[in-house]
Amino acid sequence: MTRLVLVSGKGGVGKSAVAAAYAFAAKRTGSRVLAVDMINAGSLGPHLGEPELSFTPRPVGDGLEALTIDRADALIEYLRVQIGVPALATIGPAARAFDALASTAPAVREVVTMGKVLWEVKKGTWDVVVADAPPTGQIGSFLRSPRSVRQLVATGRILDQVEWMDAILTDPALAQLVLVTLLEELPVVETTETQGWVLEEALVGDVTIVANRVLPALGTAVPEDDGPMVEAARLHQSLWSEQQEWATRLEIDLRLPYLFGTHTPPEVAERLADVLEEEP
Amino acid sequence: MTRALVVTGAGGVGKTTVSAALAVAASRAGLRTLVVTVDPAQRLATALGIELTNEPSPHPEEPQLWAAMLDATASWREVARRHADPEVTDRLVDNEFFVAATSHFPASQSYAAAEQAATYLDARAWDLVIVDTPPASGGIDFFTAPGQMADLVGGRLLRWLTGARIPGRRFLFNRTAKPVLRLADQVLGANLLERIAEFLMDLRTTYDGVAKRARQIERHMKSATTLVVTTSEPAAMREAVRFFRALPAVASAPAAVVFNRVLPEEWIGAEAPAMSHNNLVENLERWAAEAFRQRSARREFGERYPTAIATIPWQAHPPTDRQALAAMVESADGLPDLW
Repeated sequence: MTRLVLVSGKGGVGKSAVAAAYAFAAKRTGSRVLAVDMINAGSLGPHLGEPELSFTPRPVGDGLEALTIDRADALIEYLRVQIGVPALATIGPAARAFDALASTAPAVREVVTMGKVLWEVKKGTWDVVVADAPPTGQIGSFLRSPRSVRQLVATGRILDQVEWMDAILTDPALAQLVLVTLLEELPVVETTETQGWVLEEALVGDVTIVANRVLPALGTAVPEDDGPMVEAARLHQSLWSEQQEWATRLEIDLRLPYLFGTHTPPEVAERLADVLEEEP
Repeated sequence: MTRALVVTGAGGVGKTTVSAALAVAASRAGLRTLVVTVDPAQRLATALGIELTNEPSPHPEEPQLWAAMLDATASWREVARRHADPEVTDRLVDNEFFVAATSHFPASQSYAAAEQAATYLDARAWDLVIVDTPPASGGIDFFTAPGQMADLVGGRLLRWLTGARIPGRRFLFNRTAKPVLRLADQVLGANLLERIAEFLMDLRTTYDGVAKRARQIERHMKSATTLVVTTSEPAAMREAVRFFRALPAVASAPAAVVFNRVLPEEWIGAEAPAMSHNNLVENLERWAAEAFRQRSARREFGERYPTAIATIPWQAHPPTDRQALAAMVESADGLPDLW
């Protein structure tokens, strides 16, 4: 049985770093892990230490492989493997034309991308599939795509595929949506909204809220003074209380620390994986 | 003449706040200023002190300031109304594929933004129009969207699928497209395909209008002043770099790159006073490490991309009123003359 972790969040909250951290944490437990850059956004690779990912899974260390979903490649594979369209019809100009046509139809493009991710879950090669998913602004059309297709398409082979896709997504034992947020106004508002409709429409089995870049408490009063030390304390105190205020608007499942100073992208992911590993 | 200032950058860097701050500063400097924002935080809207709608409205207390918000869906309907026959427009906006295509088309929000901005520039009612760009692709979309839009509605593929001429409402695919269509029939279902075709035919009738408008918009964009906002976070800077690489082809070189949320350089290597509380000493150390990381990132950027670099200090609290927004611009270092 393969578990799926979809990591989403508003742009700029560190969702790719968190996705990489989930992949690293799973790998450390001895699981066979696949990490997926779902919309070829390009920021998952650096955090895994492998800037250039391809559509074919590529090893990025022991027990961890990674791939990026290029839409044209995904469509060709989808048509061939899942729909059973012979290879000849899926190459060259015909595939490109079909791609353009399919892209105009609502949900077809998303179903192809979700189809690739869920196919990797279904085929049983991996223990865990971690997806760096589209940002919260777009995630809805991906999660809803199996259902949208079912409503839109009366006949056609694509219809046969959407049942098992929805079944995986909505099984709490199989699929988990991780919503990464910062403790600031816009990300918090977007996260609560997203969590709201995901649960209401029962789109994914389980939703986890992860607060990223959480500041530690200062642990002492800020002196009435000046100079860099006091200025730094004042800034920290006000950012911290700002975060505390926004934290009350969410039910946070997991807090990841603000990492001060210089770290390479893989270091960031490894440090966050340390925290994930301590959690049950 | 109306000048355009286009503010670009990755999501979450404070681009909308910087746009609003510049607008307050420019209007107080005596320019009739319109700021067009995209989805501002409630707190920023409150700080600006004006209700934001799709139409520019004058600020009740700042005589030279107007503000409008970008509503991508509403703008798309307006685009269709402007470029299609009334009968076709109704069919288009009610068509599920219109809704899907406009929300899927990667540059759709950017095109709507660019078209709306161009309309304000054409109105010649303001000295300065400040446009906060949608976050997708760090704002590059904003400049390339008009061309992409013209390609979408008049593209070769569409012509190929629908035949060179538009035979009214009759649906005629050309012969080379037949195998693809048979495939699409099997996979998607025939009914769906017919509905897509109908939509595409309607969309094509807008081509002349859209193509002409796209060229006008592009002229406006080429003469606009651009500003790139970023933080020193690696992800935000990757977007800024991407923008720098793509920019020369589509717009003028940025007037400056603005680093937002900058920590004081004096913190780097600063000594805590003797006998200080351990927590305070430790806190200084970690923020000094941040200040160091930020400075290295700025320097590296400056070495690779010869451009003016401006900095805005990290505000302990987000601006809560127009005074704080204006103060944000005053506290900026290295900002070139933008108006």
